[in-house]
Parts: sequence; structure tokens; C-alpha cells
Amino acid sequence: MKRFTFLIICIGLMASMGLFAGGQQSASEAQTTLVYWSMWNQTETQGQVLTQAIRDFEQQNPGVRVQVNWNGREIRQTLQPALDQGVTIDLWDEDLERVILTWGNYALKLDPFFEQSYPTTNNQPYKDVVMGSLLDLARNIAPDGALYAVPYQPFVFNMMYNKSHFQQAGIQQVPRTWAEFMDAMAKLKAAGFEPMTIDNAYMDTLPGYYLARAKGPEWVAQLVSDRTNAMWDDPAVLQMARAFEEMATKGYFSRTVESNVWPAGQQDLAAGTVSMYLNGTWLVNEIMNTTGPDFPWGTFAFPEVPGGVTGRTAANYGSQAFQINKNSAHPELAFKLAVHLTTGRWDEELAKRTFGVPVGGTTDWPVQLADARAIFNSLDTHYPWAGGIQANPEKLPVIIENFTRLIAGRITADQFVNNLKR
Amino acid sequence: MKSRQHTTMIVVFLFPAVLAYVLIYLYPTLRTGVMSFFQVDTITTSIAGWRFIGMGNYVFLFESPLFLRSIRNIAFFWFAGAIMAFFFALLFAVVLTSGVRGKSFFKAVIYLPNVISAVAMGTMWTQYVYSARYGLLKNLFTFLGLEELAAIQWTSPDFVSWALLIAYTFGMIGYFMLIFIAAIEKIPQDYFEAATIEGANKIRQFFTITLPLIKNVFRTNIVLWTVSTTTVGFFIWVQVFSPRLIEQGTVTPMVYMYQSIFGAEMVVTARNVGAGAAIGVILSLMVLGVFLVTAKFLKDDKTEF
Repeated sequence: MKRFTFLIICIGLMASMGLFAGGQQSASEAQTTLVYWSMWNQTETQGQVLTQAIRDFEQQNPGVRVQVNWNGREIRQTLQPALDQGVTIDLWDEDLERVILTWGNYALKLDPFFEQSYPTTNNQPYKDVVMGSLLDLARNIAPDGALYAVPYQPFVFNMMYNKSHFQQAGIQQVPRTWAEFMDAMAKLKAAGFEPMTIDNAYMDTLPGYYLARAKGPEWVAQLVSDRTNAMWDDPAVLQMARAFEEMATKGYFSRTVESNVWPAGQQDLAAGTVSMYLNGTWLVNEIMNTTGPDFPWGTFAFPEVPGGVTGRTAANYGSQAFQINKNSAHPELAFKLAVHLTTGRWDEELAKRTFGVPVGGTTDWPVQLADARAIFNSLDTHYPWAGGIQANPEKLPVIIENFTRLIAGRITADQFVNNLKR
Repeated sequence: MKSRQHTTMIVVFLFPAVLAYVLIYLYPTLRTGVMSFFQVDTITTSIAGWRFIGMGNYVFLFESPLFLRSIRNIAFFWFAGAIMAFFFALLFAVVLTSGVRGKSFFKAVIYLPNVISAVAMGTMWTQYVYSARYGLLKNLFTFLGLEELAAIQWTSPDFVSWALLIAYTFGMIGYFMLIFIAAIEKIPQDYFEAATIEGANKIRQFFTITLPLIKNVFRTNIVLWTVSTTTVGFFIWVQVFSPRLIEQGTVTPMVYMYQSIFGAEMVVTARNVGAGAAIGVILSLMVLGVFLVTAKFLKDDKTEF
């Protein structure tokens, strides 16, 4: 009897599996499925906006279903093994530089797609309705100068500050030169503010930006990669160290700057304790829960430094980017989805709800980033992250440890240089 | 005939476990060992794409000041942390098995950090306990009038190693305490009663009865501590203390391995999966070494009670 019951259960299970499998098959015949591996978590604002945008895309394209795998930033570890194993993935997204340099071999060349118009591009080629500077950047990163990614959610790395502090300190104009920068910090300190802070996660950006201004990002990459350490004797290094030593001596850095574990420093900015923080435009969204939407945000380009070879029109800028699998069975449809997500209503919605930069040339920017728009439009030179100072991962921890001690006033500029030469 | 049936049963019952062990543990271990002698670009590069470089990865690692720093750090975290964790775990275990009231409550409270996510715990330490602006330690020392201690910037380069170690060890005490409690409770009460009648005080009883009879558990705990500090558990704590950038005071071989295999956090850097595999081999040898040394010095005395 027991055997009979067991047999019946097995037959029932097999039958139901067969039925469901048959059901799936007939459903898939009726529709095309795009598989999108996302760098976002569904609970993040970006994930929520993309979910709505994708639903809208499915409604506008009957018979198309988009299956999303919300990886979060774990996609950096999960995507490549999946692609190597032949998992069906039509498109994915991550940082623009990362998708091109790391996953470029898996990606489809997209130049012809950028020349076409789509329902949300007002009869213009797609390339004409999105930021040209990002497309140029994408071409520059690719070894063959072709387009392998669809940029969205741009950012620029510059000085984020509290406008109210500047007004209270009587600063009429944002600093353009290092001298003006020092003058502004003196006024902020006199007005009772802690002028500037930084977190350990971004500690490399201050020396990196200064040195990139002084000598250019290529030189910075050479400096940190120099196995002889002879380049650390260059006067520009001591000039940089002395500039920050002076800031430390005059008390322009936050009193907790040497112990700020991210995001402690940026929370000090949000709380109104500190006036300035060098960071990407994403900072507005990152600390929105603390600042609220009415925080008096301002942004200005990192100042020019004495004798510098690059100026305020140079910055680290970039974006997130979609990429399409060269083995995708539906490349046109996948690009159409990328266009849908990066133009018109959804570009605007993403910018609005994440307080980020839109990629569309005519899309409104959030009020918090009004100053950043002018900076973005003026850019003519691209810095790599932190001006190129991360080119040597072996040297970087030594630089940031000594720089932290320098801006905390624990060591002098000369000691900084000597420590880096070891 | 009976014996053959017995053998068949053994094979049938062992097969799934052996197969799972071979596929999930043995094969990856052997593959990692072999990989450590090759130049491998990505973790999924097929074996045809591996380039043999002999001991090249090991030479590279032992010439890297950052990797050597990571080895020194892990030695410090392992040794100093073990002393702190075992001292407090044993102290609490002895106190809680001495008939103190509210044993279950205190056990639960001391174990509590283990059920909270490491990321949440780490964030609490970095953003609240150690905060140089409004942190628990700052306020406590200020209240006690200890201005010099209150002024310490715990997560600065000078103190971050200790700060990380204290935070991590704090969470591990409850875990080892439970193991010690289980071991102490296995010791028959007659031993302690007899010792009390003979006039031995509690401290003497601890050193002459408790400690020798839980020697085997020490061995287990040392191995567990070694595994936890060298692998994923501690790695997460380091990531919370040093997000996005590697810092000299907190870098461990696991952090270095992660960067070698997956690249840096903020920029695209060259990956060297072979070096990552070599670090895996080195870590395994370290754990094995600790196991052998503890097995030699803390021999199982086969005491039965």
C-alpha cells in the first residue's frame, strides 16, 4: 500500500512538472525575454526607478518581458563567471570605466545603434540627445575607440560645500586659485566653522587632485609607480605636502579628520559642522536622509594650484553604463531598453529621485546640483579616479597613511616626502 | 555474505558525502594549489589560458611590502586577540558556571553580538563607540576626567589596529564562552566538592581541576579562532573599518587576496588570480601549522568522566 501511494505521488509530481514545463514553454513562445543583470539592489532608489521604467517598457512593447537579476555591487564578482559559463544575459550595468576595461571582451560594439533614432529621442540620433563628453570618454577608454557602453547617471568629482556657511563667512565668490581657497578657509574658520574634512575612504583624492593639477594625471600615475622612488623628490610633491601642512597648521581641517571612518566625515558636512568635502555629485543623494532636500548645496571645481599644468576644466568625471552582450539574441531590443532607461521621462525621473545628474542634454537637473551643471559643461580634460594616484595599489596604503598623518598635523611636509621615498 | 552486504551498505551511505566532499572541498583545494603556480588573469579563465610561472607568485608576494605587512598584522591580530578573547571568555565561563544568579540572562547578553550582523556591529564601533566627536569612549573618559584617554582618535592610523582588534574580539568572547561553559559543565561536581572539603579555594580549584580538564577544548578553540581571524569573518570587519581603500593598519592576507582576485574597489587594476590562489595556500598552511603545534603541545589526554 505504501509503495502504491509513493508511486502515485511520484507520478503526480512528474505530471505536474511536465505540465508546468509545458506551460512555461508556451508562454516563452509568446514573448521575448530580455535578461538584465543590474548593479543596483531593488530596494535602492535607482532600483525602484528602474523597476518602474522597465514595467513601462514592457507595456509599450507587448510581448517583451524583462527579467531583472538585482545583483547590487556584487555584480563585480558574479557577472564574469556567469558570462564565462554561457548564462543568458542580454545587458548589464556598472561603472563606465569598469564595464569597458573589465568586460569589454564580452560586449557588443554599439556605434551603429547610437546613430539611430528611437521613440524617446524626438527623431534625433541617440548620440545627439545624450552628453557628448561621456560618449567621448567611453571612446577614449576603449582600446579601439569604439562605443561599448551606454552611459547614464553621470557624476563629476569636485568640491561639495555648504553655501550657507560661505555666506555667513562673507565669501562672495567660490575660490578659483589655491590662494583664494586658503583665504576662504580662513574666513570660514573665523566664522566658527570647521572648513574642511575627508573620510578614510576618499583620503587619496586630496593629494591626487592637487598633484594632477600641478603635473597632470599621467605624471601622477608615473610617480606612484616609480620603483626607484626618485620622482618623490620632485618639487611638486613637497609643494603639495606644504600646502596641506599649512592647512593643518592653521586648523582648517576638521578636528576628527584623522579618525573619520566613512561616512563619518560626510555626515559632519550634512550636520552643518563642516563646510567642504571633496566628493562626487552622488554625495547629495548619499546623505539626503541626513540633510533633507533643503540643504544649501554648492559645488565648485578643485582650485588651480601655483604652477599647475591643468586647471579647473579638468576633473574626474564618469557615469554608470549599460553594456550589451555580444552574444545576445536580441541586441536591438536590449539597446532600445537602454535608450528607454536613459532618455526622456525616465532619465529625468532617475535624476529627480536620486538627486543625481541626468544624461540627457535637455533634461532638468536637481536644484541641489545647479552649480555642478556649469562645471560639467566646462570640462575638457578627464582625470582618472583621484587624479591617477591609485595606479599602484601597493604604494597607495603608504600614501594615504602618511597623508592622514600630514593633515592631522602629526608629521611635517618634509617627513611626508621622506616617508614616501622609503 | 553478510560482510559483503555490510561493505555495500558502507559504500552506499558514504558515497553522497564523499562525492560532495570531493566536489566541493577537495577539487577546489587542489585546483587552488595548482593555480598558485600559474599566471591567471581572471578567476574563470580556463586552464588552457593559465601560464606556468613556477614559484613566481610566491616570490612576488614575499617581495611585496604590503603583503608582508598583512602577514605581520594577522600575526598580531591572531596572537593578541586570542589572549584577550580566551581570557574574557574563560573568566565569564567560570563565573557563570559557579552558580551565579541570572546565568541564562548573562549568557544571552554576552553571546548577543554573535547574532548581529558583522557589518552592523562594525558600524556601531566605528561610527559610535570610537567616534572622536561624540563617541562612547570619548564621553566615558571625559566623564571620568581622563582627558588624555578621551582625546585618543581610536580609528586614526596610530590606533586603528587596536581599535579593530578590540571591536572584533568583543564580539567573539560570547562564542568561545559558550564552548568553555559546555566543557566546564561536563566536569563532575564531585571533583569540586571533594576539593572544597579538602580546603581548596576557588582559584586553586580552577587551576588544578577546571583548567587541566578543559585542555582539549582550548585546542578546539585555538583552531576555531585561527580559522575565523584568517578568513571571511575578520575580512568583513576590516572592510567596515577601511572601506574602499586598503590601509596599512588593517590590511590582512584575506584583504590582499580579494584585491588580487577582483581588483581594487574604485579603479580598474590588473588582477592576479594566481597570486590570490597563492595567498589561499599560505593561509591554509598557516591554519595547518597552528593546528599541528596546538595538537603537539595540547595533547589529548583521553580523560574520561
